[in-house]
Formats: sequence, structure tokens, C-alpha cells
Amino acid sequence: MIANQLALIKRELWEHRSFGITPLAVASVMAIGTLSFMVIGSGFRDVIDMALVGASNVGETERRAMLTGLLSVYTVVVAISMGIVTVFYCLDCLYAERKDRSILFWRSLPITDAETVVSKLLVAMLVIPAATYAAIVATHLLVLLMASVWVEMQGGSAAHLLWNGAALLDNWVATLVLVFAVPLWLAPFIGWFVFVSGVVKRSPLLMAFLPIAVLPLIELTFESHLLVKAIWARPFSIPLFGVDSVEGMMDRAGGGIELREEMVSLAATLDVGKFVSSPSLWLGLVVCGLLAAAAVYVRRYRDES
Amino acid sequence: MTRLVEAQNVSKRYGRVQAVDNVSFSVEEGRILGLFGPNGAGKTTLLKAVLGLTDCDGQLSVLGLDPFRQRKELLNNICYIADVAVLPRWMRVSRLLDFVEATHPRFSRKSAEELLSRTSVRKDAKVRELSKGMVTQLHLSLITAIDARLLILDEPTLGLDILFRKEFYGNLLAEYFDEQRTILITTHQVEEIENILTDIMFIHNGRILLDAPMDSLGDQYLELMTSGEKADTARGLRPLFEREVFGKSVMTFENADRGRLEMLGELRVPSVADLFVAKVKGAVA
Repeated sequence: MIANQLALIKRELWEHRSFGITPLAVASVMAIGTLSFMVIGSGFRDVIDMALVGASNVGETERRAMLTGLLSVYTVVVAISMGIVTVFYCLDCLYAERKDRSILFWRSLPITDAETVVSKLLVAMLVIPAATYAAIVATHLLVLLMASVWVEMQGGSAAHLLWNGAALLDNWVATLVLVFAVPLWLAPFIGWFVFVSGVVKRSPLLMAFLPIAVLPLIELTFESHLLVKAIWARPFSIPLFGVDSVEGMMDRAGGGIELREEMVSLAATLDVGKFVSSPSLWLGLVVCGLLAAAAVYVRRYRDES
Repeated sequence: MTRLVEAQNVSKRYGRVQAVDNVSFSVEEGRILGLFGPNGAGKTTLLKAVLGLTDCDGQLSVLGLDPFRQRKELLNNICYIADVAVLPRWMRVSRLLDFVEATHPRFSRKSAEELLSRTSVRKDAKVRELSKGMVTQLHLSLITAIDARLLILDEPTLGLDILFRKEFYGNLLAEYFDEQRTILITTHQVEEIENILTDIMFIHNGRILLDAPMDSLGDQYLELMTSGEKADTARGLRPLFEREVFGKSVMTFENADRGRLEMLGELRVPSVADLFVAKVKGAVA
């Protein structure tokens, strides 16, 4: 069982090289973008000097907030690109084998349909997030290294301005939680895409997104919001954050508005207990399980010859 | 002799079509059974039932297992080629070997590599880069490197030229077959494999028309070439089927009196192809 799973997951990695190519390409583009910014920025000596002085003089909290925000931009870009990879992978995983008829070969080996479908889910929910995480950490390090060289060349102290304030560990712990929690939260979508991939005869992308887009619209005409909440709102309502709004992150005690100090820490904004105890998470996982079971049933009973 | 496949009153219906109709047969260890039938006769459905790819009515046991419900256990001991053009085109040959080695407990990588070394299939090539003949060689190398008791081949040489077909069956006998192994094969190219078969089965409209060992055909079936009045007399003996060849009548008889037929013309044992036509056309008539 485990040996088969490992072999199946390896096979997915051999087939879907985009798991490696995409983060490499995204990291490269961002690195080139950062480098271009630095090269162009080097021409504005006065501005750089002012920026370096300003950055040296701001408080550690502010500097940390600024760097966390900056690194988060890289995190979000890598995560979104890998999210897109996940969607296309799920839509292709049971469709491609039927399209090229290789399903007849795979099914001639002693591997059950359930093992095959489970391997696809594991790739979407564990392997791609793991690749995403590695890509994010590598991108952070690459960008910080490039920035360090640049800051030193400009006469600043990279150790003081970047590495002391970056709160890398805090950032990476929070990212680790996020990259594995988000697929769990979006499990019903993953299950739906895998199911569609195993069922439709053509255009899995269209067939997957059409009901997602159209059904809530139809529901709206009946002045109901059940599907809107369950489908459209779900990606934006992950119950993983301790504060629900930007307002909750602010401190108005001194008369002005300031970011609460603990909110500078990304990890501090996460509430894993709230996430794990959310009934909506478990309901979503059940829906994903049912859709996966349906995909297994279809793969088992449909005549592909 | 151990019975590897045992079917009792097996039936399969697709909507209004009765694909397999109350079929009973058995396959013993160490035999090579050829399953023949016209298109839509039900042979692929029957093979699918044997492979556990489809459920069916009646009792069907393969290696003592229920093929549909115990499919994974079954596939540890049997192997099959449903179609040679189904190997994943994106995969490298070496990866294919890695994958089968990791998932099939009876696969011998050493044997597969040895078999492949006799072909022009490169291990670093992708399947899509291979010719159709090479893909067949690769598929056969993978399958014959599995120490399985039962090998099932459904139209394995479809679309291949005569050279590859001859090589395929030659390799099958040389590399795979022995008295512990059993082969069940379907093909339209009856003439090419009749000399390697130990048993034949004809299926038509979902029913078995003939199920017999090859060496018993001469006792059961005779083909008479005759003409004129003798032909009229022969017709009185109720031939299974009659056809015209160069102005002469060729009649196929089942369980007929050899002595009487000898007096009416030239006698011989019909080829499997001729017998197949006679049985199918005779069944239609």
C-alpha cells in the first residue's frame, strides 16, 4: 500500500514536471525583477542614501513589519502560481490517462483505483504544497542574498537592515502553516476538480468552472446565498487568522492608529486551534472525500476500452 | 491439471445487448487458448470479465478468485495486454521499468532488461519516440518479465506488420510459455497463431460455438472437396457449411462418418480459419 503510494506519487512527479519548473520560473522572474529594480535604483544615489539612513533609524518593529510585508509579496506570488499549477494538475490527473488511453496500462498493474485517486489527492494536498514551501523559502533566501550584496555595495549594513529584521523563522513557520492549511480548506474544490477530471469526456477546465460560476448566479435570482457562501466566499474565509479584519490588527490606544506590535509577527496572526476546530473545514474534507469516492467509482466501473 | 479459469453460466448485458450469453468453459494450466469471434461477438467482454474489468452474472473464478471483487490479488498473478498502444507516451523506458518494478511483486527487472537488450529500444527513450513495433516489443518485454501464471492478450498485434507479428508470437513462445504458464489470446489473424495453440474457442453472438483442444479437431471435423453427383450425395450427409472453390464444392462436416466421406472426394482437416467460417456461417444458417 505505502510502496504503491510512493511509486504512484513518483510517477506524478515524473509526469508533471511543472511542479519543479513553475516555482523555478517564478523565482527566476522575481529575482530578475528584483535585480532590475536594484540596478535601476542604483542610478538614484540621493534617494538610496536617504532610504538607507531612514531604514537604519526606524524602529526594529517597523523595519520588521516592512521586511515581512516585502517577503510576503514574494510568498503570495509563488503561492498563487502554485495554486494555478494545482488547479491544472487536478483537472488533468484523471483526464490525461483516459485521453491517451494509458489508463488501460495502469489498470493492468496490481494497483487499485482507490490507491490511484488517493495518490492524486496526496499530490495536490501535500506534494505541491511542500514544493511551494521549498520554493518560497528559496525565493526569500535568494532575494535577501541579492539585496544584501546590493545594500553592502551601497554602503549600508545588510546584517543590520535585512537579516536582523527579517524575522525569517517567524515568516517561514507562518508560511509552512499556510501552505498546508490552504489546500485543506480548499479540499472540496480539489475533490471537485479531481472528480471532473475523472468524469468528463472533454474540456475539463470549462466543465469544472461552469457550475462553480453559474450555480451561485442562478441561486442569486432566488435571493438565496447558500451556494454563494459555500462556493464563492469559501476561498476568502479561511478561519486561520486570529483577527478577522485589518481593524483588529490596529491599536488606537494612543489616539492615533498603529499596527499592534504582536501583529508584526505573521505566526502570531495565525490561530491553528480555530482552524482545526472549524466545522466548515471538516465538512469540506467530507465533501472532498465523497467526490474522491465518486471518482474512484467512475474509474472502476467505466469502460475505457 | 489445475483449472485456472472456470466459468459457469456467465452472462453480461449492456442495455439491450446481450454481449455474453450463458457461457460455460474452463482453461487448464499450461495451455494456449485462442478465442476467436467476429466483431461484436462478445470475446472482449468475456476477457474483461476474466480480468475483473467488468462485473458479470453467473459464476466466474480465475485462479480461485472472484476477478471483479478480488482484482488486486488477481493482478498479482496474471498479466495482460489490452492494447499495445496504451503505454504512457510521456514516460521514459527506464522510468517505466522503475514503476512496474515498484508496483508488481512478480516483475523481474533483470529479465525485462535482458529482453529489451535484444531489441533496439533504448532505455533513455520516451515511449513517444519509439515506433509502434518497438512499443510492442517494450510492452511484451514488460509483461513477459512478470512471473504470472496467466497471460491474457486481446488483439495484441493489431495494426502491426507481418514481420512484427511473427516476431511477437515467436518471442511469446520462446520467452514466456512453459507448462506452468497459460496464455489466453484473441486475434483476427487466426492463421498466424493456429500452430501455437493447444485449444480453441469460437464465440458468436455471446455464445460459445466451439470449445475444443486443437488435436481433437481432426477427429471431429472434416473438410470434403467434391463435385457433381458426389456433391449431391455429400449434401445429403448434412454438412455444416458449403462453399465453392474453383468450381468445386468444399463442405465442412462435424462428427461425420469418415469412411463414407472418403468415397465422395478429397478429405482433409479444415484449417482453423475455415472451421471458424463454417461454424459461424453454419450458426447463422
